[in-house]
Amino acid sequence: MKRFYLLLLITMFPLQSVVAKAANDTLQIFKKEIRTNNAPLPIGPYSQAIVAKGRYVFLSGQIAIRPDGKMVEGGIEEQTRQVFDNLRAVLQASGCDFQNVVKTTVLMKDLNEFSKMNAVYATYFKSEPPARATFQVVRLPKDALIEIEAIAVLPE
Amino acid sequence: MKKEIRTQNAPQPIGPYSQAISTNGGFYFLSGQIPLNAEGKIVDGGIEEQAHQVMNNIKAILTEAGLSFDNIVKTTIFLSDMGNFAVVNSIYGEYFKGMVPPARSAFQVARLPLDVMVEIESIAVAG
Repeated sequence: MKRFYLLLLITMFPLQSVVAKAANDTLQIFKKEIRTNNAPLPIGPYSQAIVAKGRYVFLSGQIAIRPDGKMVEGGIEEQTRQVFDNLRAVLQASGCDFQNVVKTTVLMKDLNEFSKMNAVYATYFKSEPPARATFQVVRLPKDALIEIEAIAVLPE
Repeated sequence: MKKEIRTQNAPQPIGPYSQAISTNGGFYFLSGQIPLNAEGKIVDGGIEEQAHQVMNNIKAILTEAGLSFDNIVKTTIFLSDMGNFAVVNSIYGEYFKGMVPPARSAFQVARLPLDVMVEIESIAVAG
């Protein structure tokens, strides 16, 4: 009798893990929209972020608009902080935070302000900062001084 | 690990790049598309014609890969003039009608290849 139960247990165990994996695969949505009121809501055909394959978070570029839709007052430092507030809200809505960001692209109206921007930027990435590309553009939406887009990866 | 996607229905690469690259993990990275027709000529007309041509080039590559616009998770829009954004935005939106739209960044650059007015790159994920 004991041997029978032991045999049953042994054969059941792999079956359970196969069923669990199959369920996980079908639950793995290939594309999920992130939408939070804590960041400016989309005003066009885009999402604040898309989570792909349940793990890879592609964030739309953020500019220094507050959730109420108004551009924050001030210069590059104030705008950079607002951009990061917006990014944080979207990251948290996606289930992660700044330590999960693997890549950013920083678009600036004036690269002469790079070091001021960089000093603010650095405070959000204390260790293992993400990969990054930075360049000067001619113009950003709403004539913002800075736009930052990011890619994050959710833990497994 | 990676595979080249290539279709005759979008402009052929004229340099060291592929129209798109797919990975084992089901990611498709599409090169920036500009408003050339499949023969390699800039489409006639203005910003509307250029925006449609770009979206149609993207569609041709997606089709070759067995995907649709619904598989796109992220785009980047490069404009020669931010003043054209509203028009581009409206045309772009038509191609994602009824779908969850991808994440996006948009900005004005100093100059685009062949002095076109719009370029769009995209990342797609297989379902």
